[in-house]
Amino acid sequence: MMARPAPGLTLGPTLFHWDAERWRDFYFRIADEADIETVYLGEVVCAKRRPFILPHLAKVHERLKKADKDVVLSTLALIMTADELDEIRQTIADPDLIFEANDISTASLLAERRHVIGPFVNAYNEGTINYLAKRGAYRVSLPAELSLDMLEALGQTDAVKDISLEVQVFGRLPLAISARCYHARAHDLHKDGCQFVCGNDPDGLTIETLDDEPFLAINGTQTMSDTYCSLLAELPALMAAGIDKFRLWPHSCDMVQVAVLFKDVLNDTIAVEEAEARLDEIVGDVPLANGYLHGREGRLWVEAAAE
Amino acid sequence: MAVTGARAKSKAIAGDLELICPAGTPAALRAAVDAGAEAVYLGFRDETNARNFPGLNFSPEELATGLEYAHARNCMVFVAINTFPRAGAPEAWHRAIDCAADLGVDAVILADIGVLDYAARQHPDLRLHLSVQASASNAEAIRFYHEEFGVRRVVLPRVLTVEDIAELNSRIPVETEVFAFGGMCPMAEGRCLLSSYVTGKSPNITGVCSPASHVRYEERGSELVSRLGDFTINIFQQSDAAGYPTLCKGRFVADGRASYLFEAPTSLNVLPLLPELMAAGVSALKIEGRQRGRAYTAQVVAAFRAAIDACRRGESIPEMPQLADVTEGQRETSGAYRRAWR
Amino acid sequence: MLNSPTMTDFLNETLDSSEQGGRGAVGAGRRSMVPPFSPVLLGGLLLAPVPDLLLRPLLRAVMAAVAKQHQGMFERLGSYADTVFLVDPIDLPIRFLLQANAKQPKLTIAREADAPQATAAIRGSLLALIDLLEGRVDGDALFFSRRLLIEGDTEAVVALRNAVDGEEIHIIDDILVRAGPLARPARRAAKHLLRLTRRAGADMAMLQNALLQPAMERIEAQTAAVDHLRQSMSRGSSPRRRRAPRTLAVQE
Repeated sequence: MMARPAPGLTLGPTLFHWDAERWRDFYFRIADEADIETVYLGEVVCAKRRPFILPHLAKVHERLKKADKDVVLSTLALIMTADELDEIRQTIADPDLIFEANDISTASLLAERRHVIGPFVNAYNEGTINYLAKRGAYRVSLPAELSLDMLEALGQTDAVKDISLEVQVFGRLPLAISARCYHARAHDLHKDGCQFVCGNDPDGLTIETLDDEPFLAINGTQTMSDTYCSLLAELPALMAAGIDKFRLWPHSCDMVQVAVLFKDVLNDTIAVEEAEARLDEIVGDVPLANGYLHGREGRLWVEAAAE
Repeated sequence: MAVTGARAKSKAIAGDLELICPAGTPAALRAAVDAGAEAVYLGFRDETNARNFPGLNFSPEELATGLEYAHARNCMVFVAINTFPRAGAPEAWHRAIDCAADLGVDAVILADIGVLDYAARQHPDLRLHLSVQASASNAEAIRFYHEEFGVRRVVLPRVLTVEDIAELNSRIPVETEVFAFGGMCPMAEGRCLLSSYVTGKSPNITGVCSPASHVRYEERGSELVSRLGDFTINIFQQSDAAGYPTLCKGRFVADGRASYLFEAPTSLNVLPLLPELMAAGVSALKIEGRQRGRAYTAQVVAAFRAAIDACRRGESIPEMPQLADVTEGQRETSGAYRRAWR
Repeated sequence: MLNSPTMTDFLNETLDSSEQGGRGAVGAGRRSMVPPFSPVLLGGLLLAPVPDLLLRPLLRAVMAAVAKQHQGMFERLGSYADTVFLVDPIDLPIRFLLQANAKQPKLTIAREADAPQATAAIRGSLLALIDLLEGRVDGDALFFSRRLLIEGDTEAVVALRNAVDGEEIHIIDDILVRAGPLARPARRAAKHLLRLTRRAGADMAMLQNALLQPAMERIEAQTAAVDHLRQSMSRGSSPRRRRAPRTLAVQE
């Protein structure tokens, strides 16, 4: 019988439409400097963006492998046409690569191969996770809205004891995906002629209510949290619940330093308060949130001391 | 395979559109049946279905009575068990499936893979439909649910154009059901956490979106402000048609400009598209609105009954001005079925 | 006609009293709803001086009749059975408090002092409220078209609406069900009266619209212009991005 893998950090795929060179250099730096175990690479949000990173993908992949990172290739979350499906088939053709399925169709195509179930596939419970594991999933990245109580209940079921479980612990949370492009709409454009305006906002575009309160963020066809999720203080409880992988979402802030903080808390070599204060400096003018894990509204910040 | 009398009869006309209607209460069920529904769909009064609203839905006894009423009038009953069980506690979902199967419903509408697996193993004769909450938007996803669990029909997510649907139908071995009228999600259903981010209650776990418990209406001078949780979702002038503060149907500010960024408070209405949807190989039309009153159910079902019957006779679709009264924001859209929507 | 002293007095009184009652969970919503000019409004003027003493037994009888025949409604209300609802027919000079508890359902006349104990309010014309009660109209549709206003605990109102809609309530039949040999003629008379009221209401609303429409349009256009101006001014002066509080702390 396999045991749960040792705790480690992962870096989710870049959800934003970064300039191709910026994208490449970001991962070169991650390869060279970041203490991260697994790096997910690839376009998840919009099929139209994919061609931009393709010229750099092989080089980035190689550099990360050389730096001893596990590399998992992420795939589209919303697949709507036969063409997009064909593209997925071509993408996963190489049997030596490991993929993250972000739609059940991709999971189906990857059956019998080792693969990761990404957070865009609904895996809420042991029944589903066990079923997916039997079809080749070795890791499941869980939905962001699960509370610690739910994660603990999940960790206690026999069905998941051999599976690596991942939780999103840093960054804007992807909350919804649509056929409609909100970045294009915000600029009075149609999705088909979007001019890639989503590229103007390397961390997504915050939207506000009519009362000028920050509300959500948009990233092309994706809607995200306006706050950045941060589960620094919750890492010990997550480990105790049986979570072994902790996903950081890439942002334009110093991700190498973000990884240092999370790693230090995982290793218990820094006080949580100090790590939180330093994270606050790194992210700058952005509110942090951890409500989901505490069974509350995802946008809320719950003080650990209050529990 | 167990096929009820109602089902066998209703499929008499090949390539026809079946009319699937919402029933939030037994009274609405009777209204839908009487107005000409070929099937009604409903949920149990708990967290196992995606319209877990106060005062709504069916007890097992009410379902039994409803089944009797519907089957006596050649109408099918589908039961939606389409939320995602909490880890470690799938019993309520399993019980719901057992109960529906024992009472002899015509199909259950499911979303969660674990629940589908349970239903397929425990009740091999139970007809399975895939809920829109499963977000199966392409041929491979649909094939997965068909081959793994024997799903016979899939409710398509509201992200596809009519052309996409026609193409899809040529590649899959199962029936498709599409949304025809009512509230519409601009997001891929079942993959949206907006409600829990703002209110802590989600469609997938709790079975609610933008729940009434978090809704407040406030007056500010001559304006009506609709709020969800701590956020203003919309502000209406005295003369504006109002809307419920569903959080994706408010006005928000992007780059300094206020607009209905995600979707306006509007109702989907596919009446003008009926011939196209028929040609695209769609098997069934679904009316949204288990949370709406039985007057809504009766009105919308009767209108669609008349329209489908007109289509059957090869006549043009009659105007249905009465539908304007029950549409949200008193506006209509053909939604994602037209590419321009994107 | 609109300037008749009685009418103005009545309107003013309604507006004032609802403002006073607006300190509780349910606010001063009545202010924003103009009662439709209808036979109910005129009839209501006659009702104003009728002492509660006479109305009370009638309300008790109504509630007893509904409770007897629609037990299912109370089950559907679940945890909202003890909620106190303010039911406000805006064209009547009286308002009601409703508590749909299965054991002891209560429908009473709301005094000003009572308003704060209501956790939710439902306001609309009497005919709209009766239509809603009997399931003839969709509550959402009434609300979308601004003919229904709800305040306070929205979920409680939704629960009540769903519970009521799940019953096939016919208020006249329900009340007259025990009236014995008189039931049939009484029912016929009541329904005839209701039909007449409805038709006259439509005629009077048309008249009202014809008289008031031009003025209303002008006022609304002005209001909208002012609001627009105010909004654009406030938007222009506030920073577009500002730092949200680092912690939106909640006690667990």
